[in-house]
Order: sequence, then C-alpha cells, then structure tokens
Amino acid sequence: MTTALNILSSTMGGLLERLLRHQLAGPMEQFEIHRYVPLSLGAIDVSFTNSSLWMVVATGLAALFFFSATRSRALIPGRLQSVAELTYDFVADMVRGAIGQEGMKFFPFVFTLFIYILLANLLGLTPSIPGLTHTFTTTSHIAVTFGLAMLSISIVIVYGFYKNGLGFLKLFVPSGVPPWLLPLIVLIEFVSFLSRPLSLAIRLFANMLAGHIILKVFAGFIISLLGAGGVVGAIAIFPFLGTVAITMLELLVAFLQAYVFAILTCIYLNDAVNVGHH
Amino acid sequence: MPASTKDQPDGPDRRRLDDLSRRLDAARGERETDAEKAATASARGRSLGAGFRLASELMAAVLVGLALGLGADFAFDVSPFGLLAGLFIGFAAGLRNAAAAMTAGQNDAGGGADKEKRSGEDDR
Repeated sequence: MTTALNILSSTMGGLLERLLRHQLAGPMEQFEIHRYVPLSLGAIDVSFTNSSLWMVVATGLAALFFFSATRSRALIPGRLQSVAELTYDFVADMVRGAIGQEGMKFFPFVFTLFIYILLANLLGLTPSIPGLTHTFTTTSHIAVTFGLAMLSISIVIVYGFYKNGLGFLKLFVPSGVPPWLLPLIVLIEFVSFLSRPLSLAIRLFANMLAGHIILKVFAGFIISLLGAGGVVGAIAIFPFLGTVAITMLELLVAFLQAYVFAILTCIYLNDAVNVGHH
Repeated sequence: MPASTKDQPDGPDRRRLDDLSRRLDAARGERETDAEKAATASARGRSLGAGFRLASELMAAVLVGLALGLGADFAFDVSPFGLLAGLFIGFAAGLRNAAAAMTAGQNDAGGGADKEKRSGEDDR
C-alpha cells in the first residue's frame, strides 16, 4: 500500500514538476499576442496573430452554425433550427423593446455583435489542448472591445445626423433645464456622450481580463499546493472547488457581457432613432 | 391529500397513497430548492454585472473629462485649470451616467430577466 502510494506520488511529482516548469507561467501570459504570419501595411503592423486566429474561429463557428441550422428551413424546426430561432427571437425582442419596430433595420448589426461577442467570450473559456491549440480570449484586449464600441457609436452618430440633421444635437439639451444652467449641463451631457464608447469597451474588457486572471491564479494554487505534497496537498481541493465555481460564474459573465454590450448598443441607437423621446 | 382520503378505511391503498404523496412532496421540495439556488446564483451574477456597469460608467466619464481637460491645458496653455475643470465635469458626467444606468437597470434589467424566464418556461 505504501509502496503504491510512493510510486503514485513520485509519478505525480514528476508530472507536477513538468507542469510547473512548462505550464505554470504567470497569469498574464495568456493575454500575450503572438505573430503567426508577419504582415505590414506601410508602417502599420497588420500581422495575423493568435488574436486574429481566434476572431476567425469565432466568426467561422457562428457562420457554420447558422448555415447548418437554417439549411433545411423546416416548418417544424429541428434541434439546431430551434436554437437558431430562439437566438433570433431573443435578439429581435431586445431590439424591438429598446428601439421599437423602426429599430429592426439595425437588427443584423446587433445580432452580429451579440453572437460575435458571445462566441469570443465562450471560446476563451475552452481549455487549451497542450501542444495543439492555445486558447486566446480576443475580448480580453481593449483594442478589440474599443474597436467594437467605436463601431457602435459611429453608427449611432452617422445615423443620428443622417436622420435628424442638426436636430440630433438636441440629445445634449435635456428638456426642463433652467437657461442659466444650460451651458454646464450641455458640457456634462457632451462628456457623458463621449464616455459611452469607453465605458462599453472598458466593461467588456475588464470583465474578461479579471475573470481569466482569477481563473489562472486559482488554478495555479492547485498546482503549487499539490506540488508541496502531503497534508498541504490535500488543501488543493479548495482552490479546485473555487476554480469550478468561478468557471460557472464566468460562463454566466460571458453571456451577460455579450447581452449588456448588445442592449446598450440598442439603447444608444434609440437616441439616434428617437431624438428627444426619452 | 389527507382531506380526500380521510373517509376511506385504513388499508394498504391508503398507506401507498400517503407514501406517494410524501415522496411527491419531497421531490417537489427538492426541485424548488434547486430552482431557488439557481435563481440566487444568477441574481448574484446579475448584480455583479450591474456593479461592473456602474463602475465602468463612472470611470469612463472621469477618464474622458481628464483627457479633455489635459487637451484644453495643452491647446490653450491654461494649465492646470483645464485639468481641474475637466475632472470636475467628468465626475459630474460619470455620476449622471451612473444615475441613468441605475434607473434604467431598475426598469430594464428586471423586465429582461422576466422575459428570459418566460421564454424558458415556454420551451419546457
């Protein structure tokens, strides 16, 4: 019995040693960008990186899923088609609820945004296969989230001026403000409008970054405690349970943040569609 | 259902019925606690999201105010008053954003959650 335990612990120790040497990089290492295909456009670096790869994977998965789900287009939907229809209804309700029927012209944009962010978040939670894939969460980089946020706000601004002309500027003048306060209020409203893309970007990026760092740190505790062995090793069950719990929480956060990004985009689009109706 | 079985004589049927209702109650209770647990977990996640939202709204507005203030300092050479004014205006805008997010959250997030729950029940 003891010899078996010894053998087990020595092999475990060897495995752990290898894990410690190779896998246990810092919690920030997962966010590093690696160039796969170096490319440059003038002075701009447009290399195909691991971030680009996971963006392509997210887009490809979304396209694959919806192509195969809508292929049969049956009156009585199968499993895949049901999921696709539920997703459609979910986003369509969100758009109609926030903007109204007129907002449905933005449905393709909001739907794409929601599905892309959801898939990117969820793909970041899939485990890496050692030596084959290295999972990367594209939405944990502010460059990506700020790009998406700027896309949303650009559409709001362009459509707002296209539809309302200069009347869109009424957005900065809330009704029922005494005239002597107006300059200050307009300034505050202007800063508040400018902060929208930043807050969209920061929220998604910070959620993803924080969640992945916490996961990595907790998982690192398991390895370190098991590496210490003996009674201390038994304590490793607690960070293990913690990691399981945080993984479940992260699944929820992944969905919630995609939802929040999409619904806030709808709310901002509503300002452009119905100026002064709030 | 003791009321409906009270007038029946004691017997194996009665005992089996009691047993069945006891097991049914137990199963029902289990399911309810499971549902409650899931509800608390998702409520916790939702409030975490709401907290993050308020924090990011406030922070983003202060950052934008800071950037505008520094820009004014640089452009009009009024340092440090641009920075001071920018921070104050940014903070005001941040509070305005957070207040708007909170009022919207009260009407909006609750409705959304209800809708989710309802569509979930329809499928079952």
